[in-house]
Amino acid sequence: MVNTEFLISLVPLFPLLGFLIVALNVRRLSHGVTAFIACGAILLSFITSVVLFTKLLSAPEAERSITVTLYQWFAAGSFSANISFLLDPLSSLFLLIITGVGFLIHVYSIGYMHDDKGFNRFFSYLNLFVFFMLLLVMGSNYLLMFVGWEGVGLCSYLLIGFWFKNQNYNDAANKAFIMNRVGDLGLLIGIVLIAWKFGSISYPDVFANALQNSEALKSHGILITWITMLLFVGAMGKSAQIPLYTWLPDAMAGPTPVSALIHAATMVTAGIYMIARNNVLYAMAPATLTVVMIVGLATAIFAATIALKQNDIKKVLAYSTVSQLGLMFLALGLGAFTAGIFHMATHAFFKALLFLGAGSVIHALGNEQDIRNMGGLKKYLPVTYMTFLIGVLAISGIPPFAGFFSKDEILANAFAQNKIVWVLAVGASLLTAFYMFRLFFLTFFGKERASHEKMHHIHESPKSILIPLIVLAILSLAGGFMGVPEVLHGSHWLSHYLAPVFASSTQFLAHHDHLSHATEYALMGGIVGATIILIIFAYSRYAKNNHVPATDETTTGLQRVLMNKYYIDELYNAIIVKPLYHISAVFEAFIERLGIDKLVNASGSFVVWGSRTARLLQNGSIGYYIFIMVIGIVLILVANNLK
Amino acid sequence: MTLNLFYFLSFLAVLSALMVVFSKNPVYSVLYLIITFFTIAGHYILLDAQFLAVVHVIVYAGAIMVLFLYVIMLLNLNRESEPHKSNILKFAAVICAGLLLVVLVGSLKGTEAIVQQSGKAGIGYVKTLGEVMFKEFLLPFEITSILLLAAMVGAVMLGKSEKTNDTI
Amino acid sequence: MNRSDLYSLTPLLILSSAAILNFFSISIKRNHKVIFAITVLSLIGDFIFLTSYSLYHQQHIDPLLVVDGFGIFNIGLILLTTLVVALMSYAYFEQREERKEEYYILLILAALGACIMVISKHFVSFFLGLEVLSVSLYSLIAYLRTRERSDEAGIKYLILAAFSSAFLLFGMSLIYATTGKMDFGGIGYYLTTTQDIPLIMMAGLGMLIVGAGFKLGVVPFHMWTPDVYEGAPTPVTAFIATVSKGGMIALLVRFFNAINGYQYESFTNLFTVLSIASMFVGNILALRQTNLKRILAYSSISHIGYLLVAFLSGGSMGAQATTFYLVAYFITTLGAFGIIATLSDQHRDAELIDDYRGLLWRRPLTAVAFSAMLLSLAGIPLTAGFIAKFYVITAGIGTQHWLLVFCLVVNSVIGLYYYIKIIAVMFDQKLQIKSAKELHPLVYVISSVTIAVLAVFLFWLGVSPEGMLSLIDDVI
Repeated sequence: MVNTEFLISLVPLFPLLGFLIVALNVRRLSHGVTAFIACGAILLSFITSVVLFTKLLSAPEAERSITVTLYQWFAAGSFSANISFLLDPLSSLFLLIITGVGFLIHVYSIGYMHDDKGFNRFFSYLNLFVFFMLLLVMGSNYLLMFVGWEGVGLCSYLLIGFWFKNQNYNDAANKAFIMNRVGDLGLLIGIVLIAWKFGSISYPDVFANALQNSEALKSHGILITWITMLLFVGAMGKSAQIPLYTWLPDAMAGPTPVSALIHAATMVTAGIYMIARNNVLYAMAPATLTVVMIVGLATAIFAATIALKQNDIKKVLAYSTVSQLGLMFLALGLGAFTAGIFHMATHAFFKALLFLGAGSVIHALGNEQDIRNMGGLKKYLPVTYMTFLIGVLAISGIPPFAGFFSKDEILANAFAQNKIVWVLAVGASLLTAFYMFRLFFLTFFGKERASHEKMHHIHESPKSILIPLIVLAILSLAGGFMGVPEVLHGSHWLSHYLAPVFASSTQFLAHHDHLSHATEYALMGGIVGATIILIIFAYSRYAKNNHVPATDETTTGLQRVLMNKYYIDELYNAIIVKPLYHISAVFEAFIERLGIDKLVNASGSFVVWGSRTARLLQNGSIGYYIFIMVIGIVLILVANNLK
Repeated sequence: MTLNLFYFLSFLAVLSALMVVFSKNPVYSVLYLIITFFTIAGHYILLDAQFLAVVHVIVYAGAIMVLFLYVIMLLNLNRESEPHKSNILKFAAVICAGLLLVVLVGSLKGTEAIVQQSGKAGIGYVKTLGEVMFKEFLLPFEITSILLLAAMVGAVMLGKSEKTNDTI
Repeated sequence: MNRSDLYSLTPLLILSSAAILNFFSISIKRNHKVIFAITVLSLIGDFIFLTSYSLYHQQHIDPLLVVDGFGIFNIGLILLTTLVVALMSYAYFEQREERKEEYYILLILAALGACIMVISKHFVSFFLGLEVLSVSLYSLIAYLRTRERSDEAGIKYLILAAFSSAFLLFGMSLIYATTGKMDFGGIGYYLTTTQDIPLIMMAGLGMLIVGAGFKLGVVPFHMWTPDVYEGAPTPVTAFIATVSKGGMIALLVRFFNAINGYQYESFTNLFTVLSIASMFVGNILALRQTNLKRILAYSSISHIGYLLVAFLSGGSMGAQATTFYLVAYFITTLGAFGIIATLSDQHRDAELIDDYRGLLWRRPLTAVAFSAMLLSLAGIPLTAGFIAKFYVITAGIGTQHWLLVFCLVVNSVIGLYYYIKIIAVMFDQKLQIKSAKELHPLVYVISSVTIAVLAVFLFWLGVSPEGMLSLIDDVI
């Protein structure tokens, strides 16, 4: 097994090396060399992951969890934190997706970024991001996960603001980083609480400890609820759930490959990974699971309604990502961890595909992102059109595309547990189909609405862009077959593969009867039928009748609310940012202005030393400082005397 | 007798300290301050600390106050040059100082002196003081020299005129 | 005083001799290089000598000082910090017209004062150390007299420091009046013999806190911080932010452990209030600043607030967290001010945010180092600041100071905002041409290497803090 352990530590090492080589020679390397190093690093990582994956598969089930410790990081109090990696079915699945999809997106970026000045810088960031992402899923303790967690946030900050050209991009980057930090701090407190309660921060110890004391933990449910809730706050930030979701649509300011890699396929699923990893703890906290479910469901619907009226191709995809993430959380909240992970995997394929396809369109049209200015692109971009169609079919849940199986599993779980949840989830899923096809038809069908100049330059993208699209399209087509449910005479390979990870939590979850096959067939048929009807509706409205969304000024009422994303950003501004600024201003007015500014303004230009000193002493500003100090002293003495 | 003397000195000290603050003319303030120092020196004597009393008078009332007077005269400060202070500020300062006084009095009131009088005769003599200072507390004495060194370097450095760049 | 006492005090003697040596050197000929060399060499020599002590060294120089592992560690920290400050001062002062030589004397003396403070176990040495430090600082702050805010800052600091010293002395005398003792051990012993502390003693302790709070710049005694940070020459600002505050923290730790102050609820409550107020006021005031030195001043106020959380936790965990936080804070603060110093020109310091616009494109390495320092201040993983903050939170939760931990977390988010703002400005692509007087290349080499070393330390402590932690563990 020494070999395996070595391989495990190689996986994150390659991207790190790639980053270091590119970053240290950022001005010297030619674009070709950079691309070769950066993509090569990820490819090597991917190959290693595949080897590891096959090794895990061939190993007996009990040995499918390998921990490699590199060295002790630090010890605080009673526990110690190691730099160590954990390879088990869950993390290996994530490894495959991160390195696999990551590699494709790297290849795509070669074509997409080819004439950008920051080409080398871009690839160094991408490699660094992959490194942190691998750290996140491979770390065998909470703190290492947290390091990865913060690291991906940082890279996402750098990449969103990659073109630090205008203030909007900067603001978007800042917003993403700060919103993430709000979540991260919840996560951090959760981790510290775990460390305090369980005396360890490594997963195996904590879970073993939790299982041992499950009775006590469950009877004093408040602590475990707090821990899981705080961890969930972290997940909300990173995976863009209500109320911390507004950063994700804004994050689309970054280059499109970034949106595909970070804001669709990998980073935003970190929250899913984290909850799945902690399934034992969550299973013991039913209250938190309910919250997760509600937040997930609410987000799924909420974001889907906003997506209905967005006109920026990337914004639509962004809100759709938020909505799909909501569905995953819904699955997790229902205790259907496998279903959540399954959807995460298929979503990584088809959403990456959609983003890259959108990127291809944007590229072809010379940075046009508004779908009102597209249309009729079918014949100009045939490959993009075909692959995009596959992506849209997959996300809408049309069999046999990947999204169908994973979404169906979530919906079936919802149906088994709570009919109302099921109805709402189906609603969100139908909305998804509608707005995705709206996007699709507006882009590729109908009249050509782009300017003549742009139509003149229009061209299908280069090979480096198309090949990843095709590969991802194949994955979106076939990816679902890793989890074909029993009812369709599949064996659901994925759930068997992941079973050891979720084994210990099943005992705490309420058991639900399996749906009868007849019911399942009925559900599938009904949903698919409804979806197809909606698609036809979308077709007639947007493709045939050439209905183009109105310009911003003429929209009214609900549409306007939707278009402005329910004014959530404005609300945040009003209740958080502004008050903070006001407090700051008040402080400044009372403390700063009274003292210093008066002096500074008055003194103005250079004055001779004596008069300045005299003025200084007479100005009263020091008196004012002493005044504050004396008040402080009085308060301290009073406080002391009161005891 | 000692007690009466104590009250008399204290009264004088507080009164002249107040006058330091209330005098409009800075020269008067300095003179009142000298009186304050003398009364405090009187307290030292009452406490059997003759050496301290003498040093106090020489250093504070003698050296420092003379310096103050010189500075005041050189800067030509007088009644007119006193800046106008707003009444609100004055009021706030009075309230604040009053609060501090109340709190201090409150915490000091009703506490009997706990420390035991050493009762050693001649505790304030130069000889006794010297013995303590050069035996037990030799190290702080040395540190004080460093303190003076720092003060001296700083004062010279800040006080010298700008132009002499290359020579001392 | 015997031989082993002298042996234990040698680091202090080396420092004072270095000051005297500088004196004589000035009297022969003014030469910036020579003075600089003497200063740097004596600081390095002193540190090397210090490493010859065992960590379990324990020498009581009754009644005033105790040279133990904790003291040695802190002296080492002070010496290294002063060394870094001296290194960054050379380039800074070389381009200015003023006389530069006395600066080093005052710097050494200030370091000496701080060293005395951290090995004090008696009020007399405490106060003398504090005054040596303060008196040197008065002139250091006002050193660049031709600059507009310099003497203003110096005088403000002088008046306020004298004011707080008066309270400190008053507090000491009240404590002496109650206990009849001036050494920490004696006071601690007195406290074990009484049921509850007499009112007069409480007042005295409260006044001690006033004095300490002033030095630390905690709210409400923080008023001087922004003015002085802004007015003082940048290396001096770095010194104030690190040595002067760190020395006081070390002393507080020693004092509180000696009197076992953690058991008195009124004290812990008092410090809790001070800590929370510092965190909030510091961070909120920093939000709208555009002057980098003022931002760092306000941020230092809030950092002291964080430090107090660790301090309040008490016990070995608290002391460990405090010390580690101090080390991390020293490194990042020195780095940040070091960068400001290297970017400053002869007329003014590079203290406005606009001076940093597009720095990444002009001086990429400096910008990256600066970003690293800021991220560490914000507590992002893989930097020293993260480990430090994690430790503080662990310590806080371990002793169940929930409110404090909560405030700390909230403030970390607020704080992040202005750190990120600076980083964003540096990444801005608008180019700005800046001309500075060309100095001897060596000057830049010294400053750059210093900053690079600090940055390496920053990441080293973030990635592999175990060495430093076990060292701290040993000395506590």
